[in-house]
Amino acid sequence: MKNDHTGKPLAIGIVSLLIFLGAWELFCRFGFIEPLFLPAPTKILSRAIKMVDNGQLIAHTLASTRRVMVGFLVSSLIAIPFGIFLGSYGFFRAVFDPFISLLRPLPSMSWIPLSLLWLGITETQKYAIVFMGSFAPSLLYIIEATKGIDPLLIRAAKNLGASRLDVMREVILPGSLPQIIAGLKVMLGIAWTCIISAELVAAREGLGFMIMNGKEYFQTDTVLLGMVMISITVLIIDLVFRKFEKRVLPWRQ
Amino acid sequence: METVSNGAKISIQGVTKIYSGKRGEITALKDLSLDVKDGELLVVVGASGCGKTTLLNLVAGFEAPTRGRILLDGEPVTGITPECGMIFQHYALFPWKTVQDNVEFGLKMKGMSKKERRQRAARFIDMVGLKGFESSYPHHLSGGMKQRVSIARSLANNPKVMLLDEPFAALDAMTRQVLQEQLVRIYEKHRKTIIFITHSIDEALLLSSRIVVMTARPGRIAQEIVNDLPYPRNADVQLSNRFMEIKRTIWESVQAEVMKSMEVETA
Repeated sequence: MKNDHTGKPLAIGIVSLLIFLGAWELFCRFGFIEPLFLPAPTKILSRAIKMVDNGQLIAHTLASTRRVMVGFLVSSLIAIPFGIFLGSYGFFRAVFDPFISLLRPLPSMSWIPLSLLWLGITETQKYAIVFMGSFAPSLLYIIEATKGIDPLLIRAAKNLGASRLDVMREVILPGSLPQIIAGLKVMLGIAWTCIISAELVAAREGLGFMIMNGKEYFQTDTVLLGMVMISITVLIIDLVFRKFEKRVLPWRQ
Repeated sequence: METVSNGAKISIQGVTKIYSGKRGEITALKDLSLDVKDGELLVVVGASGCGKTTLLNLVAGFEAPTRGRILLDGEPVTGITPECGMIFQHYALFPWKTVQDNVEFGLKMKGMSKKERRQRAARFIDMVGLKGFESSYPHHLSGGMKQRVSIARSLANNPKVMLLDEPFAALDAMTRQVLQEQLVRIYEKHRKTIIFITHSIDEALLLSSRIVVMTARPGRIAQEIVNDLPYPRNADVQLSNRFMEIKRTIWESVQAEVMKSMEVETA
């Protein structure tokens, strides 16, 4: 009987969530909580239905998702080849090391004033924030990943006639891909942090803007709805990313 | 230095290799000279730490000798060359490539067309008895199968010389015997020049056309024996009187070297 619970964690999780939501609902119904501070789940749900109807919820979600994706893709597409190059050449790694070391600790938030000054409240500014927040850490992940390659494989490749470029493309890239993808998953989370911060400060749409706007008009249900939407969207993207991971790493199964 | 080619496929001339580390210098090889003729299967036997692997790494161009030189077809080896195909003890297969793609690797590097590559690789996969495993990934294969892929990968690339660094040492006894016989058959058929490194005297006798015994560090040549056991050979050759005779000769010389190396360690 003890091992009878395997395969049930999902069901347990759903029940636990429902009990939590039920308790929350009851506390609000009986007036223990001021609705301005914490509206009932049903209130948030009816706000969600209203905002789906007028198209705003989808529009805000898509705006944030698009910004994250564009910034994250541009950052990854540059960081992957550049990181592999730096991972292969110690000299160039030494050249760029001080810049990467200085950029990495900067939170994406700290780029917001400068990006607004340079680019205004534009889409480009949003992409730039995501890029600046994720590029340096991505680069470090990728350089680190290239160090995990078995030097014997590089030797074997050269012995079979591979040039330095071949080694990078055929050995270092595929060999470090599992670690690179693990790093990019973390970076995707950071990209979301970047975009929500940027939207909280200055934006005309997006989930961050929706939350900030809800606060301005004392619509606490809108604020909470925005937060819930961020969670759900990130979870969905994470699932898609896992599917992608299985496709590009067939040899890991 | 004169560049007189003496007709040897590989000519190792007065090679010394010294590694300098934090704890001083280690002389791995000292003034070693050795010629390997075309179509010879030379087995180098020696106790562990005698510099056998160093010797192979020098021939493959992975490392450069401190003194002396190595000629391949009369030309000095100056870097890693696909002309000397290396087979590593731990296979060194690309885990993200299928058997087919592993075997095709060298051909892809040469710029051979995909179709031609497929055909050529298929031939060598078949030769090592792995037909049907083309689309498997290395981690699904046993050690013996991995080493066969590695041999096929090297053969497909058609190197002038094959270098095998204790390739069967990590395999169980049964698998080892199957692969030894397979290698002998491949050698009998292709007559490639092969340098094979091992610490097993039985393996040396089963495979070689000539055996070189190396001394304890610094590695030099202690003894050379022409192995006149007739080809085609199989495991049965181990039961012949001549086998035992040669084995005794080698054993005495290897034993002396092992004793010497133990003395060095305890000194």
